[in-house]
Amino acid sequence: MTSATSTDPSTAAAGASLLERLGDVWLELEDHLAKVPVLQRLDDGTVTVEDYLRLLFNLRQQVIDGSLWIARAASNFDIDHFELRAAAIKHAEEEHRDHFLLEADYVALGGSRAELRAGRKNVGSEALSGYLFTYASRPNPAGLIGAMFIIEGLGARRAAQWAARFQEVLGLADNQVHFMTYHQEADGAHTGDMEAILTSGLIDDATADEIVRCAQVVARLYALQLEELDR
Amino acid sequence: MTTARAYLTGFGRYLPGPAVDNEGIAARLGGDDAVTARIRGSILASNGIRQRHYALDEQGEPTELNEELAVKALHAALDDRGIRPSDLRMLATATTLGDVLVPGFANMVHGRLGGGPMQLLSASGVCASSMAALDAVVSKVRLGDHPRGAVVASELPSRSLRQRRYDGFRAGMDAHFLRWMLSDGAGAVVVEFQPHPTRLSLRVDWIRQVSLAHDHAVCMRAGMSGDATHVGGTWQDVALADAQAAGMFVLRQDVGMLDDLAQAGIAQFEELVDIGLVDVRHLDHVICHYSTNVFRDVAFDALRRRIPSLDTDRWFSNLETRGNTGSASIFIALEEAWRTGRFQPGETVLLAVPESGRFSFAFAQLTVVAPSRPQGASS
Repeated sequence: MTSATSTDPSTAAAGASLLERLGDVWLELEDHLAKVPVLQRLDDGTVTVEDYLRLLFNLRQQVIDGSLWIARAASNFDIDHFELRAAAIKHAEEEHRDHFLLEADYVALGGSRAELRAGRKNVGSEALSGYLFTYASRPNPAGLIGAMFIIEGLGARRAAQWAARFQEVLGLADNQVHFMTYHQEADGAHTGDMEAILTSGLIDDATADEIVRCAQVVARLYALQLEELDR
Repeated sequence: MTTARAYLTGFGRYLPGPAVDNEGIAARLGGDDAVTARIRGSILASNGIRQRHYALDEQGEPTELNEELAVKALHAALDDRGIRPSDLRMLATATTLGDVLVPGFANMVHGRLGGGPMQLLSASGVCASSMAALDAVVSKVRLGDHPRGAVVASELPSRSLRQRRYDGFRAGMDAHFLRWMLSDGAGAVVVEFQPHPTRLSLRVDWIRQVSLAHDHAVCMRAGMSGDATHVGGTWQDVALADAQAAGMFVLRQDVGMLDDLAQAGIAQFEELVDIGLVDVRHLDHVICHYSTNVFRDVAFDALRRRIPSLDTDRWFSNLETRGNTGSASIFIALEEAWRTGRFQPGETVLLAVPESGRFSFAFAQLTVVAPSRPQGASS
């Protein structure tokens, strides 16, 4: 993989903008995703309905935390970070009902809502969720913009592709892929908002380093969550 | 919009009691006077039915409810698929007459079947109501609203074919015809958005139902007098004793209209061929509900006009041995064709259900598909 040899984006390279550094993190994530078994089966057309159900089941246990850590982050931004707090409050509200979409898909595929709700996080989700809550508990956790860059980016850039491919391979109706298709629109809007923040000039070099580092950790843990299904 | 597909993955039937031959009918339904016996013999000779089932004992007393027949057929279909009632998210039922006036038949069947919360539909009408029920579940599965549902069509006409319904008025041919033709039974199918993992399934390619009631008077009826309704003239408007005395509780069919019904059905089939839904070069199996063998022969003649090489072995019916069970007939025939191994992957199955009630016609095309388990899967 070529990107493995590129400059470590977590240390500020002279001349590289924040968006360029996050772009390098994204490439690292793509390399990891290419090795995720369920995504490989999706790619080669051998994925099953059971695979899709397991994926939704595993995602749900972490998605349920989404608006919670964003809301916690919002509560930790002081008045000097008013714009970030406003963005986080808005975002938390928007994510608040996400898991219901996922539940509806799961049930429409024949899964049990009760079992889904009784599920536990896999080891990757535990690490990801634990990291995000811990980070969100810091004062002014601006680095979480990097987490959002990764998570929203997956929603905006990848989820709809996955949904289309699940539909193609398994013959699913639109009603069975709402969660992944919805995120193309919703997270597309969020990433637009985020790029405005990232390019606004409000972010100093130290904060940029935090954002990139957080993005790196979240990218690795998100891929781990997909690798460690049901473990 | 992308939709899922719908597959029939489980099949069941229930026929109550022992098979009753032609000699055993009078003991259960009555009508053993010489005139009635002669009419019965003549009708049986033309309809070709040799055996049927009744939910009546040898004295003509009821042994089961219609909703019980439905539930037993559903259990058979669920067992065939290896699932439980709690796996169903929708149930659509079809029957001509439920056990009670209120509530709906599907509600009573769900109550007796058990399982969890589910969407219900009670399709009413006559023979084609089974196809309306099937269409409803297939449509919801295609939309992705439900992963799995069941359809059951169930009939228990025997209790209203007994002598007491015919006492006190002179029954004409319109009443005799159905009395010696109809019998009891139920058939059910399981509908899913994926094929069966390890066995053949039947993919539902399309379902079409059309009514020509705008152009035809009532043909099969009960609860009215004559062939037209009028205010104050239905069974609900007059004293029950008067309705009984007028024979309003007897199922009747205007047999003089049946040739028109057959021709209208053939015209509907021709239209399906013309618009390309039916490809006569790829018509592997035909399962048609018809009330008597006379109409089978009319249909054969019509098909030969389109398919000179028609192989009538591809035409499946169990009318002669399972009787005419109204709306249930199509599923009872499909179940037997399925169970006896007639279908091979890639073959098509055309279902056809003409309904005399007020001239409606339902057709469906199914394609036999191989198990869903992908070959060469890595795990």
